[in-house]
Amino acid sequence: MIARRSQKIVFSLAALYLLMLVAAAIAAPLLSPYSPSEQYLDRRFHAPSLENLLGTDNLGRDILTRLLYGARSALIVGLVAVSIAFSLGGLVGLLAGMGPKHIDSVLMLLMDSLLSFPTILLAITVVSFMGYGLVQVMVALGVISSPVFARLVRAETLSVKTEGYVEAARALGTPPAKIVVKHIIPNIMGKVIVQCSLTFAQAVVIESSLSYLGVGTQPPAASWGLMLKDARNYLAQAPWMAMYPGLCLALTVLAFNIIGDSLSERFNPRLG
Amino acid sequence: MKKVPRIASLCILFAFSAASLVVAQTKGTLVFGLSGNPDTLDPQKTAGTLTFQVVKSFYDTLVEPNTDGTIVPALAESWTVSPDGLIWTFKLRRNVVFHNGQPFTSKDVRASLERIKDEATASPKRSEFAAIKEIRTPDAATVVIVLSQPYAPLLASLASGWGAILPSGLIASGHNFGAEPVGTGPFKFEKWIRDNKITMVRNDTYWMKGLPKLAKVEFQIIPERAVQVQGLSAGVIDAVEFIDPEDLPLFSSNPKVSIKKELTSLIMVMAMNCSREPLNDLRVRQAVNYAIDKQVVLDVAYGGGKVGSTFLDTGNAYYTDFSYLYPYNPDKARQLLKAAGVDTREFTITVPQNYPLHVKAAELIQQMLEKVGMHVKLQLVDWSTWLSSVYNGGNYDFTVIGHTGKLDPDGTLAGYGTGKYVKWINATAAQKIKEAAAISDFAARKKLYTEVLEIMAKEVPFVYLGTSYRYVGTRSNVVDFRMTPNLDTFDFRWTELK
Repeated sequence: MIARRSQKIVFSLAALYLLMLVAAAIAAPLLSPYSPSEQYLDRRFHAPSLENLLGTDNLGRDILTRLLYGARSALIVGLVAVSIAFSLGGLVGLLAGMGPKHIDSVLMLLMDSLLSFPTILLAITVVSFMGYGLVQVMVALGVISSPVFARLVRAETLSVKTEGYVEAARALGTPPAKIVVKHIIPNIMGKVIVQCSLTFAQAVVIESSLSYLGVGTQPPAASWGLMLKDARNYLAQAPWMAMYPGLCLALTVLAFNIIGDSLSERFNPRLG
Repeated sequence: MKKVPRIASLCILFAFSAASLVVAQTKGTLVFGLSGNPDTLDPQKTAGTLTFQVVKSFYDTLVEPNTDGTIVPALAESWTVSPDGLIWTFKLRRNVVFHNGQPFTSKDVRASLERIKDEATASPKRSEFAAIKEIRTPDAATVVIVLSQPYAPLLASLASGWGAILPSGLIASGHNFGAEPVGTGPFKFEKWIRDNKITMVRNDTYWMKGLPKLAKVEFQIIPERAVQVQGLSAGVIDAVEFIDPEDLPLFSSNPKVSIKKELTSLIMVMAMNCSREPLNDLRVRQAVNYAIDKQVVLDVAYGGGKVGSTFLDTGNAYYTDFSYLYPYNPDKARQLLKAAGVDTREFTITVPQNYPLHVKAAELIQQMLEKVGMHVKLQLVDWSTWLSSVYNGGNYDFTVIGHTGKLDPDGTLAGYGTGKYVKWINATAAQKIKEAAAISDFAARKKLYTEVLEIMAKEVPFVYLGTSYRYVGTRSNVVDFRMTPNLDTFDFRWTELK
């Protein structure tokens, strides 16, 4: 009972944090008097103060403002990447699960070959081909994350397909498209939503990694990874430059993972 | 029972480690923090600064720059040039021996120069020796170089790292100089463990009496700047070529580290693509120049320096100041942009992302240009893309880059006025640059170069940001570590550890 309760509290905290983050990202221009790229060269490396709550960076830019705008890039990347992965992977998974055996094998071979690459390596390769930038990162991440969805949707489809109500529908002559929409999709959504939240967390981390490596979000736009990259050289003089973006990144990923775990327990009580 | 041998072995281990510490601290070995791996150790097969920084100690050149940049004798004791500038006669130093025991003679000079001229060697510096028609060796201590046309920059090429003299015997046998250099230089190559270190030991038969003073130099390959800085302050390394200005406060309270500030020979610029609308309009290029506070860019991005006004390093003997032409004046920039009708066009600054200082400069410039009403965005590309698309392809609006200084102004200026990557066409300037290369008299050359530099200063195919400082960091017991002017190579011959 107590474990249940504390789990609930952790879940609510994570959800609250994410809600606040989303709200702050949307309202960034209202919350901060500064622009994320405006440089104040007479105010470089200022420690946190009333004027700059979280301090300033090597070009005198306000760190809090850059964090808020950085949250925008992180969330947008997560959202778009997950949407692409969800639609692409879901479609492939349904086709493989519902279609004939040979289509299934070909599609899964394709997805497995994508899965066999380390995610970050594949992301760097794709971005190098398409050019550096936020849009490229979103597309790359979406495509790269789709095999996980395809595998999941296919497995779930195969198991739901053998349920009595599906067999009954088929026996009654219901067209396959209608079976998918009415019976299969509603029954597999739970697990897919869990996967969405985990993929979201992964996308946020990879966006930051790519920006840190210089191939993601391009300066002077704000991104947590880019802020960490700038901060790397000033750890001794201005630790706050690295601390806050690092903290935001860690908390955000943690929150998404907590939510993913809690949802997964709810949809799959045997593991709880 | 079992405890005793364990303690004993610990004691032995401790004694050993203490002994190895003592060995490591023996005077005479200098540990140098090198920022990367050289691509090769063959001086005739690369243009990479890292290579020349390392091989400078293995090889000698016929002539070399001294501490103020004047070219003085080295392997050649003296030289004369015929009045028509076509025949150069070098008298060679006797009793010089290569590291492999072969004596140095005029044959080696001929073989080395023929090797770099050979297309098969594929030296990026090959064109600098194109004027050489014939190399004669009347006796073992005389070399006569015959040119097809007068070419004054030849002396500077012979004094540069790629003018290194290699042993003719090993050239003939196809020795792999890239992995195992053999020269007449002050240090002998010992070993190169890639990504780890390069070591070299003193050449006891070096032709400069009493030099070098160090017994051994060890280049530790440390690409990460923060690690170099920590190594220097902890005393694990004795010297680094370059300390980032932002790291300077870390050393201000450390008496065991001394920092020397010197002017580099770099020419920091923002190049403008003069073939593109509307940058082909002089007014727009002038506006960009007025809009940029060069001193601020130098101070914030490059750690200070001397503001430039034309396309040469500000410390160069041929440099003339034209900074009165385009002082920082954002209002004037706005007027000129308005007159030229520039409003909604979006410009891109393309910068190589492996040079964080140029990226920082580009961020500053972007803001300054936005302030006068231009729409500017940044684009980061990797180094190979920069070379192929920007430098060789001319596919850009603006780019921020540093040109390394050259011993001879022709090395910097050759080809400008006929295009190059700024696509700036000016027949007068191009003609004068060609003429100047054929003259060997300093005053006459300077007059021509001043005219060229004035045209370049007025027509501004670049924003001349200036020449930055370099902060060389050494432990305070390191004495007389030198950098070769204009070549940015290391000279350990006089260096000592006190």
